[in-house]
Amino acid sequence: MEFYIQILINGLMTGSYYGLAAMGLTLIFGVIKVINFAHGSMLMVGMFTAYWIVKLTGWHPYAALILVVPMLFIFGYALQGIVIKPILVSQRDVREPTEVIIVTTGVWYILDNLALMVFGAEYRVVPTSLSGQIMLVGDYIIQTPLLYGFITTMVTAGLLMWFLKYTKMGMSIRAASLDRDAASLMGINQYRVYNIAFGIGAAIAGIVGCVLIPFYYVFPTVGVVFDVKCFIIVVLGGLGSIPGALIGGLIVGLIESVFPMFMTSTWTELIVYVVFLAVLFVMPAGLFGEKRDW
Amino acid sequence: MALLEVRNVSKHFGGLKAVDEVTLSIEKGQIYGLIGPNGAGKSTLFNCVAGTYAPTMGAIIYDGRDVTGWKPWDICKLRIGRTFQIVKPFQSRTVLYNATVGAFIRTSNRSEAEDRAMEVLRKFHLGDKAGVLAKNLTIADRKRLEMARAMATDPEMLLMDECMAGLRPNEVDETLDVLREIRSQGVTIFMIEHIMRAIMSVSDKITVIQFGRKIMDGTPGEVANDERVIKAYLGESYGAGGDGNVTA
Amino acid sequence: MNSGSTKRKTIDTMLKLALAVFVFTIPVWLSSPTYLQILIMLFLFAYLTTTWNLVGGFAGVLPLGHSAYVGIGAYTSTVLFISLGVSPWIGMWAGALIAAVVGVFIGIPTLKLRGAYFALSTMAFGEGIRVLVENTMQLGPFTINGPRGISVPLLPGNNLLAYQFTSKVPYYYIILLMLCVVIFITWWFSRTRPGYYLAAGGEEPEAAQALGVNVARYKVLAMGISCFLTALGGTFLAQLTLYFYPKQILGLDFSFELAFIALIGGRGTIAGPVVGALLLRPVSELTRIYLSSTLPGLHLVIFGLVLILVMLFQPRGLVEPLERAYNWFLDRISGERKEVKS
Repeated sequence: MEFYIQILINGLMTGSYYGLAAMGLTLIFGVIKVINFAHGSMLMVGMFTAYWIVKLTGWHPYAALILVVPMLFIFGYALQGIVIKPILVSQRDVREPTEVIIVTTGVWYILDNLALMVFGAEYRVVPTSLSGQIMLVGDYIIQTPLLYGFITTMVTAGLLMWFLKYTKMGMSIRAASLDRDAASLMGINQYRVYNIAFGIGAAIAGIVGCVLIPFYYVFPTVGVVFDVKCFIIVVLGGLGSIPGALIGGLIVGLIESVFPMFMTSTWTELIVYVVFLAVLFVMPAGLFGEKRDW
Repeated sequence: MALLEVRNVSKHFGGLKAVDEVTLSIEKGQIYGLIGPNGAGKSTLFNCVAGTYAPTMGAIIYDGRDVTGWKPWDICKLRIGRTFQIVKPFQSRTVLYNATVGAFIRTSNRSEAEDRAMEVLRKFHLGDKAGVLAKNLTIADRKRLEMARAMATDPEMLLMDECMAGLRPNEVDETLDVLREIRSQGVTIFMIEHIMRAIMSVSDKITVIQFGRKIMDGTPGEVANDERVIKAYLGESYGAGGDGNVTA
Repeated sequence: MNSGSTKRKTIDTMLKLALAVFVFTIPVWLSSPTYLQILIMLFLFAYLTTTWNLVGGFAGVLPLGHSAYVGIGAYTSTVLFISLGVSPWIGMWAGALIAAVVGVFIGIPTLKLRGAYFALSTMAFGEGIRVLVENTMQLGPFTINGPRGISVPLLPGNNLLAYQFTSKVPYYYIILLMLCVVIFITWWFSRTRPGYYLAAGGEEPEAAQALGVNVARYKVLAMGISCFLTALGGTFLAQLTLYFYPKQILGLDFSFELAFIALIGGRGTIAGPVVGALLLRPVSELTRIYLSSTLPGLHLVIFGLVLILVMLFQPRGLVEPLERAYNWFLDRISGERKEVKS
């Protein structure tokens, strides 16, 4: 029994940072109605930024948040403003312009391969004060960096939902996600809203970077590992839903930790895909998505 | 016998009763108008008849046949055509291509379908624009294409959702002539229209709905003089200055 | 373009004929196997993208898992050849049939989904197939060999029946022929009622439905045809390389490259995939050959840049401006520059 509880704990811990990674993706989808295929690459940028700051300053990875979050925010803001906005402007009448999927894929290819050219293909780790630490809660072992990640995820999700619900900018983002034309008629500068939503999405990728640094490798294609996973999580949870992303992440985390008990671990990836396709066929809107979006 | 009968049709979206027990019946050869303030449920009722939505309750009888809940493409095969309020041409294709898609309903032979499409386009004064891409048309031409494309399916009945919105007065007159011409070919017309002058002059009978419910039906004269209608529809429009076309 | 003068037409026909003769005689004077290989891969990608285009272009959705069907083709014919000695010429039809069935089966639920959901579900499906193959060592009597992949047993000399040749030249003609056939099929299909219905449903589904089109049915039909033809290309790839493994033939990169080529060339056009392959394949092959040691990934950066620039400035693909340029050239050379711009 204890053994199984341990497995569940591990699954929830892993799932929480999956959920965090997917949160930015779902936020951006909610606003622009398009999947940001560069999301994994933004995670990669977040991880490299965190990596270099920790490596060069020797700070605690969570202290690095102070630098990483604003840097990534600016990065996302600029990326949307320079590359994606022109497409949205030219495709004004289309509700979900496919061109954006394509352009963000282009961004993905460019970022990943620039990282490859600059940093090389090797897997990097940076020792931090959190690395390899564990703590005992009763009879259960909890990896300290994972617990920190879990807490960070919950705090970020809470802050994000508060922001969307109670701040003026948050309300503008929600208005634009309902109907971008109507929102712009009501005096909301839709493109600025997109910039900020993208900035926040990237900033969350930066948080993920700081969370992952103590226990994960950094390499140019690390985003791809998360990309497909994030896509699955957001669709499971319902595209555009923040709690959906969180729960979708936890589900995937649980599947990955529970199923290896019963089968070879390489099969669990397949289970994730099967569950994903099944959910999509049975309830295409996902667990928390809005019906009209599929 | 009525060609189209709408019997107690309701359509609910969650708690909202967009259409609430509406009944009406259209005779063959009529031009039948459906009017009501914005958000009254006119387009929803249209979508129920055209098969886009399945009604929550009630029945739709066409030519003695219960067609409630049929899919749009099957409705079209029953010889009911429709046009959309916001026209939806196949933008990247030519005018002829657009009409040919409609004409394919009677034949699988492309040149036959194109001949038929061309014939219809000429009737709608689009013959010389057959090779133009739909995205390059003017608004008036797009509206005409929308009608031509629906007519290419060789319908007995045409559902027209605000085919005159956004047109200039002379274009409205032209469209009215086109409608009469279509009717003279034996096609029954069921139309939603906001332009009072237009719908009053062309309709044989009109149904007025508000908040999803039918207020009344009658001839244009009866409708225009009815207290309830004036209050619910015309009055409100004057008051709000909204539908500025109430000049009849 | 209303200039139907005979002179213009003659020049047009002659140019096209010259191009055809040129393409068909390349192996006569080009002896370098490296360059021939590049051309073969170019045609293969043009072929696969043309089949992708049936769904991705005409049906107006974005499939991102077509490598699954390439893989189904390659694995089926190869496994049948190894285990039962069935000639790949026959095995490829089995693979195509399986791919079509799988495509239809997966298309029925997914093609009803909106854009982003369809793209993601095809992607997940493609990845699912890869993981499935990587985890399968043996399937009944058939050896799948998991992540290590399969080699087609090499037979001595040229063996027409076994689809194996020592020279690149036969492969060149096979894929060129396949490309011509599939372009012809696309051209012919786009002029039939199902072709019109498919394109109409891809562009404005609601309007198409109101014109009597059961949009979902035609999309599924297109998916079936597309997957069938894609798998035939898979068998060709298997016979050309004689060795393949899941990460390569079932990978995400493969699926994405097909989509990219179509999008850059011109989605939903007949010439688009060929133009796209013509532009992108040499870039990727040449940078891979000459720069991969010094600047790994450069060709993908170039891919990404080209993709973004095309989407920004020519979102319908490069076929459109090229066609315009060609027509201008024809007008020029036939001396018909006098027509007034309308």
